Amino acid sequence: MAHAIKFHPGMSLLEQYAEGTLTADVALAVAAHIDLCPHCQRLSHDITVDLAAQLEKQPVKAGTDDWSDMLAAITAQPQQVKPGPAMPAATQPIIVNQREFVLPRALQRLAANHGKWLHLGGIATAKLPAGAEHHVSLLYISKDTEVPQHTHLGLEMTLVLAGKIVDENGEYCAGDLLINSPDDTHTPRTLANEDCLCLSVLSAPLQFKKGLTRLLNPLQQFFY
Amino acid sequence: MTEQQSSNTQWEDALTFVALQRDKSAYADLFSYFAPRLKAFGMKMFGNEQQALEMVQDTMLNVWKKAALFDASRGCASTWIFTIARNVRFDMLRKKQSRKDDISADDLWLNGEYPEPESDSDAGQWDNQLLTEKLAPHFNRLPPAQREVMEKVYLQEKTHQEVSDELAIPLGTVKSRIRLALDRLREALDGTRN
Repeated sequence: MAHAIKFHPGMSLLEQYAEGTLTADVALAVAAHIDLCPHCQRLSHDITVDLAAQLEKQPVKAGTDDWSDMLAAITAQPQQVKPGPAMPAATQPIIVNQREFVLPRALQRLAANHGKWLHLGGIATAKLPAGAEHHVSLLYISKDTEVPQHTHLGLEMTLVLAGKIVDENGEYCAGDLLINSPDDTHTPRTLANEDCLCLSVLSAPLQFKKGLTRLLNPLQQFFY
Repeated sequence: MTEQQSSNTQWEDALTFVALQRDKSAYADLFSYFAPRLKAFGMKMFGNEQQALEMVQDTMLNVWKKAALFDASRGCASTWIFTIARNVRFDMLRKKQSRKDDISADDLWLNGEYPEPESDSDAGQWDNQLLTEKLAPHFNRLPPAQREVMEKVYLQEKTHQEVSDELAIPLGTVKSRIRLALDRLREALDGTRN
């Protein structure tokens, strides 16, 4: 990757991810970021090692339970033999706007079953079959396109998967993770020469703010 | 070899015996050490004994069945067992919500290792600045386990191996805690993380 990833999940998100206590949809965005970010790969590995050391040092009272039945039931089962070298999972690119994108490992299986692409102007979105609490979708933005200014009624996580997007606060490239909370308002757009594919995780619909774009509010379902 | 050092590789050795020779007595040692600790972990996570025990059984069954997949060169036995328990627990919770075509532990956590990043150079780069006054106030806010390691390495100038022996924790854990602490300090300083 030619550039360094600048926007990472915070330490507490990484800790909850490693612990397995993060909501699945939020964890998915973090997992996909980690696939793209060697720095967070190492951090999440380190956190996992640390959590495991805590498990190992956990004090327990001796002899309060009788484990012999469980032990016997387990060792009565056959073991698996060592498999050959693992087959690298086939990576299937996704296609939108006649462009092919290879997604991070964490999204491969779910993206193979993505919903139909819905188009609105230069923007297209397709739902991933994931998430009870949040809505998880792929968001494609053509070159030179603006997403109307909006606020967030809930949490918005956007992971740039390819290309580049800019908003009032900065410039985001592949691997960058943007987290917007309910009070943030922004107008993301693409540059004239580069389109963008993102993973979007939303806990509530977007709300459009400006003039005529408020007419989009009935279309909230499109993004959500 | 001191007693502490031998306990550092005890579980890795036990797993290897289980994998190579179906060694039931090595497995029984592993089981009687980890099952009660996994149960305590499960009680914390589920708050209910039946599910905690289901998690223990599923996790320890995987340890028995898949021992051949454990690779001691990639990490400790406890890390391997912890990740199995985490994934079992995650999938138990998802199944309870009866969502089939949904996010699974296999999507979230890579089964194996990412390629090794080139170097630890950024940690080295931070060493010089570490004890500046700027960092001192943040030092006290590190989690106790990380602070303890950092104090031994940076204030008492002990080697990573000495710290590992002294605290009876694996060398990898010492290195992990240092990197985590460095990252926390960096985060405290420049606040680039969300």
